[in-house]
Amino acid sequence: MNEELESRLRAALRPVAPSDEFTRDLIARVAADQRSSSDARSAHGRRPRARGWWLSASVAASLLVAAGVQHQLQERHERERGLEARREVIEALRVTSQKLNLAYEVIKNQSSFPADDKPGA
Amino acid sequence: MRSCILRIFLALLAPTLVWAAPNPRLALPEFSTLAQKATESVTITLDAALLAIAGRFLDGNDPQDAAAKEVLKGLQGIYVRSYTFDKDSAYQQSDIDAVRNQLSAPGWSRLVETRSRKSQANVDIYIMVTNNQATGLALIASEPRQFTIVNIVGAIDLEKLHKLEGQFGVPKLDIDLSKAASPNAKK
Amino acid sequence: MNEAAQDFSDEQLGKARAGEAAALAALIRAHQRSVYSLALRMLGTRDLAEDLTQDVFMQLSGNLKSIVSSTHLVFWLRKVTSHRAIDQLRRRARIETIPLDEEIPQLSTVDDGDPLLHRHLWRLLLSLSPSARAVLLLRYQEDLDPIDIARTLDMPINTVKSHLKRSLEVLRQKAPNPEPLRCEGKSP
Repeated sequence: MNEELESRLRAALRPVAPSDEFTRDLIARVAADQRSSSDARSAHGRRPRARGWWLSASVAASLLVAAGVQHQLQERHERERGLEARREVIEALRVTSQKLNLAYEVIKNQSSFPADDKPGA
Repeated sequence: MRSCILRIFLALLAPTLVWAAPNPRLALPEFSTLAQKATESVTITLDAALLAIAGRFLDGNDPQDAAAKEVLKGLQGIYVRSYTFDKDSAYQQSDIDAVRNQLSAPGWSRLVETRSRKSQANVDIYIMVTNNQATGLALIASEPRQFTIVNIVGAIDLEKLHKLEGQFGVPKLDIDLSKAASPNAKK
Repeated sequence: MNEAAQDFSDEQLGKARAGEAAALAALIRAHQRSVYSLALRMLGTRDLAEDLTQDVFMQLSGNLKSIVSSTHLVFWLRKVTSHRAIDQLRRRARIETIPLDEEIPQLSTVDDGDPLLHRHLWRLLLSLSPSARAVLLLRYQEDLDPIDIARTLDMPINTVKSHLKRSLEVLRQKAPNPEPLRCEGKSP
């Protein structure tokens, strides 16, 4: 049931193209913008890597690869954790900011209008 | 023997004799029943360790991230519970009372109380001050189809929070912060 | 991702970064459908979608040198389009009524004889918050998994999953049953 619904959703939400006229105008505008920007930086040649010392090559290489993979996995996991924490901070501050705004908006509206109980108001 | 018993007795009694420092961290319920009814829910629990990790991944060159980084300085925790419903009155005020009651404890002062008959939005902002410094903030916002509780623990800079205006997709209102300090009469 | 976008290579990206007009035009043609469709389904009208699409590609033009690969390009376009659309929706006054008889923007090129689904889908999209709308589109238009959606929108993954779950529940309740297949013509 879910799969059928999702498949209908995907079909209904396939990307649609803008008009050809819009596309032509867009390409022209972006090209003009590019022309007026500064020159591209030059390509850098690759520097030859310094070769390391030969130890017991196969053993040393295997150990390094294994340690490297382990380290990479750990780094990747920590990075994901950190990025998720960052996302949560941004979301928390967004919600806080939104609700502070709500309070400020009420205050602003109140300060724009005189009190209802003033004579003649 | 008697002095030994006395010492044990005093040791057991000691915690109650020590003046309990006010705790800026609120005990937030799970709201599991409400979460099931809600169309959207936001549950965020960030303690000091997670805030420190998050801080390392905030990009100082990005305006939004830089603003967040500034606010995070000195904070020990950010806790958010927000629930949105698809119809009015899906939650009761009594659901939030468990939190509100904690804010009548010593140490908390209500900084802002706003009531809007037009939008039916109520927002209360409380602050805890210790040694002339804000050490906790609590915000309770209740609207017909949404309620939100925010608890921030640590050295809060209200000015920096105010500067969040215009960030995170929230429009700037250019409000004078000093007006927010005085409680407002109910509409 | 559509085929044109998939075929756009790192080599072509390099040429676009170097300022080659033909490569830049190819970049725009390859990726505009995705950007425009996201914008259209987020903002609701063709005019707003075209404005946003133009803004996104102009911003890309100024940042092209920081795009390191075609994969990065796709991520960047989705991220910027989504964030800009969400920001716009949050700033705009909430539309309280859903137009029943007004023209429903073309949501799909698929002529599957299912206008009722389109109407329901359109109403569902309108009823969602900006974030939830973006999540749904990134999942079913762009075919991203929840982790990639979380990265694109800077949103906690649990929030992404919650949005998806709720949106599907609502659609399941409100979506009409599919019409039986017919050999020719549309149903009366």
